Amino acid sequence: MSDESPRLEGPLPPAALDDPHLQPYARHPGAAQAVAAVAMVVGFLGFVGFGVAYWVSASNQWQAITLGVGLLALGFGVTAWGKYLMPQGPFVEERHEFHSTEAERAAMTAAITERGGMVVKRRGLLFGLFGLGATAMGIVLAFPLIRSLGPRPGTTLFQTNWKKGSQLVTIDGRQVTADDLEVGGVLTVFPRGYQGSSPNQVILIRLADQLQQLTPPGRTDWGVLGYVAYSKMCTHLGCPVGLYQEQTQQLVCPCHQSIFNVVAGAVPEFGPAPRPLPQLPITVDAHGFLRAKGDFNQPVGPGFWERP
Amino acid sequence: MRRLLNTRSMAPLALVAAVGIFGLLAFASGAGSAGAAPTTTLPKLTTTSTTATPIGQPTRPSVGSVLKNNSPSNQTGLYYVQLPKSFIAPGQALFAANCSSCHGPEALGTVRAPNLQGLGAGTVDFWVSTGRMPLANSSVQATRKPPRFNRLQTLEIAAWVQSLTPGVGVQVPVVNTSQADLESGGTLFTLNCAACHTITGAGDALMDGAYAPSLHLATPTQIVEAIRSGPGNMPHFGAGNITNTEARDISAYVTGVIQHPANPGGVGLGGIGPVGEGFVGLLVGVGALMLVCFWIGDRT
Amino acid sequence: MIDESIDKSLRWVDDRLGVAKGGRTFLDKIFPDHWSFMLGEIALYSFVVLLATGVFLSLYYVPSAHEIIYNGSYIPLRGQRVSEAYASSVGLSFDVRSGLLMRQAHHWAADIFLGSIAVHMARVFFTGAFRKPREFNWIVGVTMLILGIVNGFLGYSLPDDLVSGTGIRIAYSIVESIPLVGSYIAFFLFGGNYPGNGLIIPRFFILHVLIIPLVIIGLLAAHLGLLVKQKHTQFAGKGKTEHNVVGSPMFPTFMAKTTGFLFMVTAVIFLLAGFAQINPIWQFGQYEPYQISYAVQPDWYMGWLDGALRIMPSWEWVGWGHTIPLEIFLPAVIFPGIIFNIFFAWPFLEARHTKDLAYHNLLDRPRDRPKRTAAGAAMLMLLGMTFFASSTDVMANFFELPLKSVLWFFRIAVVVTPIIAYVVTYKICLEMRAAEGIGKRKRAVIVTRSSTGEYSTTEAEPRPGDGQEELEAVPVPTFIDLVPPELATGEGVRRVMR
Repeated sequence: MSDESPRLEGPLPPAALDDPHLQPYARHPGAAQAVAAVAMVVGFLGFVGFGVAYWVSASNQWQAITLGVGLLALGFGVTAWGKYLMPQGPFVEERHEFHSTEAERAAMTAAITERGGMVVKRRGLLFGLFGLGATAMGIVLAFPLIRSLGPRPGTTLFQTNWKKGSQLVTIDGRQVTADDLEVGGVLTVFPRGYQGSSPNQVILIRLADQLQQLTPPGRTDWGVLGYVAYSKMCTHLGCPVGLYQEQTQQLVCPCHQSIFNVVAGAVPEFGPAPRPLPQLPITVDAHGFLRAKGDFNQPVGPGFWERP
Repeated sequence: MRRLLNTRSMAPLALVAAVGIFGLLAFASGAGSAGAAPTTTLPKLTTTSTTATPIGQPTRPSVGSVLKNNSPSNQTGLYYVQLPKSFIAPGQALFAANCSSCHGPEALGTVRAPNLQGLGAGTVDFWVSTGRMPLANSSVQATRKPPRFNRLQTLEIAAWVQSLTPGVGVQVPVVNTSQADLESGGTLFTLNCAACHTITGAGDALMDGAYAPSLHLATPTQIVEAIRSGPGNMPHFGAGNITNTEARDISAYVTGVIQHPANPGGVGLGGIGPVGEGFVGLLVGVGALMLVCFWIGDRT
Repeated sequence: MIDESIDKSLRWVDDRLGVAKGGRTFLDKIFPDHWSFMLGEIALYSFVVLLATGVFLSLYYVPSAHEIIYNGSYIPLRGQRVSEAYASSVGLSFDVRSGLLMRQAHHWAADIFLGSIAVHMARVFFTGAFRKPREFNWIVGVTMLILGIVNGFLGYSLPDDLVSGTGIRIAYSIVESIPLVGSYIAFFLFGGNYPGNGLIIPRFFILHVLIIPLVIIGLLAAHLGLLVKQKHTQFAGKGKTEHNVVGSPMFPTFMAKTTGFLFMVTAVIFLLAGFAQINPIWQFGQYEPYQISYAVQPDWYMGWLDGALRIMPSWEWVGWGHTIPLEIFLPAVIFPGIIFNIFFAWPFLEARHTKDLAYHNLLDRPRDRPKRTAAGAAMLMLLGMTFFASSTDVMANFFELPLKSVLWFFRIAVVVTPIIAYVVTYKICLEMRAAEGIGKRKRAVIVTRSSTGEYSTTEAEPRPGDGQEELEAVPVPTFIDLVPPELATGEGVRRVMR
């Protein structure tokens, strides 16, 4: 394998039509042409078929088979033509060095440094002031691009619409009573007036009475009659923790399988979630409706920088 | 011609063949429509109009359930039946022969199996009619399998267990989905069921070897029984949470849309979303095209 | 007669644009024929299909989160309050003729686009085609990969369905997790606390159909332009040197093959679009931030990020009144940042490590560069493990294994298997180099048995094209009937080709 390209000096021989480089690749060009021709006819029919299928509003499958077979067959035909019947060579082309000569490079550098230098070094003040102005422009043009997009977080992430006395309602606005859930039942609730609102979503679970007494010290009265309420927003990435394993009293987040032990206070036992689900303190009012006793004990949802 | 059928040109032919087979499969499954939900038929039984209350709850109907169920029960398309007393004796015999070794002769449970008293005929019907019971190995979650008993025998066993605690527990429902609201059923399914069973009802793994099963073989009766009795790790959805009408709508949605998805786009690829799609896109799509490259180009 | 009319038309155009000389050069361009050089074409043509089907979809899709009552032909959704984005996407699927075909073709084309970029990138990497003078092209290519991944995510989030909406929620939390500025950026992008003020869908839309495609098209033009200027690389072989390109000519051969390939890529995409259902959004329902499905994964090219998020332990840094959620920030921001920076920097890292500043127009066989090949295998193994880790729940269900075991397997595998892959690949490369004849095209041998029972072998005739490969490469012939004699020499050809 020589490192020299074929010599391109001197007159080239005229191209002979029986030059092996120009011959079809196929052993039997006639057969190859026949196959390609059949393929292209099939392709044509396929496209006609697609036209018909579209006209009669045929199913997705009919549209796809006609269009797909048409494309496949026509493509196969053209490709077979190119591969088997057109000159394959091998032909050679020289690579030319495309980088400039040393002299050209030096001239370019000189143009920049000397011609530019002539003006910049002498008028350094102007250059500096231009740079200052352009930098200022660059910075302030970013303001509308970024700041106008949306509001500042402020305290929004630290509070929800749950307040002392907020009534627990379902997504349909139905008020939840103490008789609604059986032991082992689970329900998605919101504060009244904020149904469907993402930060306010709460999962209400009814534990057996004796289990609810085991909820964390200092928060035993955050549940009532076996009911406990936690933020449904996973503390990992905010997915709704809708999967409740009733026999083990575990909430499992369907997104990345963080497990929260409900009885222990929705404490994460496994998986990527770092913090327990914030608990909503609830109670029963005189008419049997469930109400919140206040907002959550911590900001809901995933972690962020300002979270203490 | 034989020369053309060498390995180089086999690739596009193989592609066409694979596409053809795939296409035939897809034609078979494509462009279907939601099938009518089957209604279960039972021997003539007396009907009751109230749901029996489960253990642990106050025995008087709750305010909420009275408010929600004040329409005559036969208009909801879902009502509960009381199994005839003639079922009890053969049920006891069946239970003694097949179930008492684990559940005890009075269904009070042993170390191997839980207490069945108070769970109700509907609960028993669910477990037995889905074939989950009798269960050989209680250390793993029971799976649906062909039921050991026919419908009559299943109801007889259920009747006997119910007779141990009359009036308590989930009753056997009769579900008529013909007037169901599919839109309501779909909304309820998404909110209450999809988190465990997936939005396409394919089922998925839970913790510690448990799993939420696929819904593709469930009957409307079994669906309502499961909703009310909360088998295994499934929560209990009583009438105060999901009303009878809502349970009917959910079972219509499951037996209709979930079990017979329209799938106009072609083969459903398992209903598990991008996992199946990624496999097909990479292996079939990119793979087939790489085979075509192999045909067109050189090997050196 | 046709010759005359072509001659006339060419003269007319050349009078105004002067294209004949450059055009001749272009038609004579030589393309090396190896099959692996066509992988980039899969990406190019699936991008063309994306553009075409995308235009169709953009004429029907409504980029608005405003809620209406669905009243289309999919009965289970009738009467439901859904966003206009969701309703128009379902409408495309059921109420626009060929709408579902185009929607599915668009989605399959996106999966194939990114899949083919991955195999193309792997080919370029393992053959060392990124070395001088092609580092720019590598950078451009990696940038297109990143933009393609982002655009794919934006695209499948546009229908506002339950599955993709979950992904948007996760994306919000990832942005939020960035220290110092995360909550600000998230509030700015979405217009407030999640789910924002409803502007995220229109913003995704304009990014997906205009801003990012414009950048990708520009980069694609640069990518192909660099390829034309620097010419394609080639494997070493008979007659192939660092100073030439050997193969088939642009016109008519390569044009025919590539046009046919365009059709075939489009065919595969549309056949998939007709027979393999993808993203059946009508089954998922409208996205609501308090609803979720199980077995939810992102599209495959985002799977490695989802897997990284799943296997990450729940480390969170809390101190001095602030929180850095490392369990989000490390796998979703730092990890891809490191990976992509490695990609970008690789040509320069390798050049510095091998102290190799020469031009390279001949490709390596992967076995000839064991360290690079092993490093690439390790990277593929790492990305592959995180990719499979995104389907832990589906795997646990399918193989009937406990979920925690599957997860722990991936936590360990992500660290251990790349090391194993490196070592094993390195050794395989060394062994392959030592063994002669591996991968060389072999001539068939015909065994005959004589009547006395002796065996004899003869070599079979060369297969079609084998004879061709043993030809000496020559320049593209000048057909001298029409051409003046001074252009029929080597000097003349060089003059034309400059």
